[in-house]
Amino acid sequence: MIAPLIALLLQAQPLEQPLPDPVQEARAQSLMRELRCMVCENEPVSQSTADMAVDARRMIRKQVAEGATDGQVRDFFVSRYGQYVAFRPPMDGWGMLLWGFPFVLVLGGLVWIGLRLVRNRPKALDPVPDDRNAEGD
Amino acid sequence: MIAELGHLLAFLALGAAIGQSFFGLTGGSETSRRLAVAAAMFAALSMLTLIICFVRLDFSVELVAAHSHSQKPLLYRIAGAWGNHEGSMLLWCVIMAGYGAVAALTMREGKLRDRALGVQGLLTVGSFVYLLFVSSPFTRQLDPPFDGAGLNPLLQDPAVALHPPFLYLGYVGMSFVFSLAAAGLINGEIDRDWARRTRPWALGAWSFLTIGIALGAIWAYYELGWGGWWFWDPVENASFMPWLVAAALVHSLIVTEKRGGMASWTVFLAVVAFCLSLLGTFLVRSGVLTSVHAFATDPARGTILLIGLGLTGGAALGLFAWRAPTLKPGPEFDPVSREGALVLNNLFLSVSAALVLVGTVTPMVLQWLGELKLISPEAASMSIGEPYFHMTLAPMVAFLLLFMPFAQAAPWRKAELTPLVKWLIPSIIVAVVAAIAAMAMGGWGIFLGYGVLVGVWVIVGVGQDLWRRAGAGGFSRLIRLPLTVWGMAIAHIGIGLFVIGATVETAARTEQTFPLGPGQIAEMNGWQFEFQGVKMVDGPNYVATRADILATHDGRTELLQPEQRSYPVSAMGTTEVAIRKTPTGDVYVALGDQLRDQAGVWRIRIAHHPLIDWVFGGAGLIALGGFMSLAARLRRRAPAPAGTAASEKPASSDKPATPEAGVGASA
Repeated sequence: MIAPLIALLLQAQPLEQPLPDPVQEARAQSLMRELRCMVCENEPVSQSTADMAVDARRMIRKQVAEGATDGQVRDFFVSRYGQYVAFRPPMDGWGMLLWGFPFVLVLGGLVWIGLRLVRNRPKALDPVPDDRNAEGD
Repeated sequence: MIAELGHLLAFLALGAAIGQSFFGLTGGSETSRRLAVAAAMFAALSMLTLIICFVRLDFSVELVAAHSHSQKPLLYRIAGAWGNHEGSMLLWCVIMAGYGAVAALTMREGKLRDRALGVQGLLTVGSFVYLLFVSSPFTRQLDPPFDGAGLNPLLQDPAVALHPPFLYLGYVGMSFVFSLAAAGLINGEIDRDWARRTRPWALGAWSFLTIGIALGAIWAYYELGWGGWWFWDPVENASFMPWLVAAALVHSLIVTEKRGGMASWTVFLAVVAFCLSLLGTFLVRSGVLTSVHAFATDPARGTILLIGLGLTGGAALGLFAWRAPTLKPGPEFDPVSREGALVLNNLFLSVSAALVLVGTVTPMVLQWLGELKLISPEAASMSIGEPYFHMTLAPMVAFLLLFMPFAQAAPWRKAELTPLVKWLIPSIIVAVVAAIAAMAMGGWGIFLGYGVLVGVWVIVGVGQDLWRRAGAGGFSRLIRLPLTVWGMAIAHIGIGLFVIGATVETAARTEQTFPLGPGQIAEMNGWQFEFQGVKMVDGPNYVATRADILATHDGRTELLQPEQRSYPVSAMGTTEVAIRKTPTGDVYVALGDQLRDQAGVWRIRIAHHPLIDWVFGGAGLIALGGFMSLAARLRRRAPAPAGTAASEKPASSDKPATPEAGVGASA
């Protein structure tokens, strides 16, 4: 009778209260992972125990709870601390080049391979006989 | 005396490597071989003297004084020998000369071996010159201190003590692949025989690199105290780039070996893999980075490393540009074929390597341009991290793995797509069902569903492939499948497990920090944690604050004891987390600081890392598969008569030569 009551009294609350809405909390946590802790070396605010990171986490949760979009939260931090704070490079201007070049490379590679294969395309090829069960070399 | 002996031995190794290189390139085959073995022995003995200096705490050697301490346990005194810039460079030299010696003792005689030994000798000479004239580990100091400064406590850990040797076995292993590529280009023979003889070296180096990277990730996971295992830190990326290129290489070598195709692309990858290893070493060792990993900082050394990289890469690419046009094109193949699938594998792996390279180097280049005042300070300070790498790499991995089961099932030269797709329908169904189930459990995250989808697809695809290869032979046939088949299967299952583990862990890890006083209870994910207070415990060379936490789950209780260690010698601390393994993942408890305003109340960070063992276990299986493939080669090499294999022509005819049967057999 008494025991659960004592347990309740002893129950600790987390230092940083997660947001009640799990979707918002997930968004906040993903934002914490992509913003740099400015007083640490190469760490996101999600990991750091530094005061600055604690403040940043609180700020992110507050803004998300108040309905800010991911972009608005990022812009807030970038306008305060500069582009350096964001592990996500900007998606405009030269940034598009950075984001786009892997896909351009893949497309270019596919076109190049395709052209080579079509140019040398023989009439009809047969599969190499199925001998995969023989001892390999 | 012993340090001077080590210094002398390093010079002897340099001399032997000069001879190895000269005779190897000019046709003095036997002399080159003996000198290669001698260089490796001198280098190894030199490393041994350095280890003895570290074990005996000879503080008159500058390096020992700077990195060791009388209170340090024996294991870390030994590991201290390579836990610093100079010592690790000596280890690099030892491994490089060692690969030369192994090649000298095991490779079949012929032009390829001699010239490869010659090129390897050149690389060894370069490494020793850098070691002896820019970063000698044997420098004495006149006024030895009473005790040493100690090793960075973060590095006093078994995983990270073994991390550099494995990483270097991988990085430097690429040097011999490079030497074989250069030798093949000089000889003008990049053919099936060349590929057959190069592939074991590539497989070995790649597998070692896999283990080295995994050890680093495991260390980060439990030692840095926040439970992350990969943060796209430039130093991590530095080892990931050569890994990706080497992964492409071990696959393109299959095409060159079995079909004689893709020869110039294969040799290009062999060159690039080692250049990226050098670039990685430059990034880590030059101090161009500021990150937790970059312990050594000295710009002068960086410049020399960069020049070495430029010379090596420039010479090799020049050789490539000169010789590659003379290489014979391989036999034709239809886009829908095993060749076609492996071409796609190489496309996605090399674009992945390129994007990791660009993402890693761009911020440094921008910073440098900013310092030269060529661009504005705002434009110069850019960070590229997790969001970029996840969002660009994920599609590459998706396509890569999508084609994997097709590559395993398709015959060489020409495949029929419709029967292949039909045959793989069970894999498709299982993968889709698993992905939907995972998303239903894990909150409908796109990343989560995608990771489970491709991971399960690959694993079930491997299962179907094994099933078909066993055919009517059933289980007894299955276990007698060639070792190469099993190597491929295990490595591919490893990739599947890794992708599932990595996406689930990233999407579903949870963590909270609680302020706990004695007797207080924290609850998380159905676990109860009762904090019982802290006590001070003495370690060999540290003092620990150890917390007692009773963790209860499903009626079972056990004691978890996370620690904070403080190393008086270096005035630094480390976090030792307590990890409780469960079938579905790790419960991870770290002890933080005491609250400033409340004595006896400590910050306790509790996290749940689902499927984390799949991440490390998957990496382990990838390496195991690579080694199994390598072992298969070694076992079969013996009966091949020396003369016949060397004179074999590339297969351009319709019938594959009988000894090369077992096309599907390679991972």
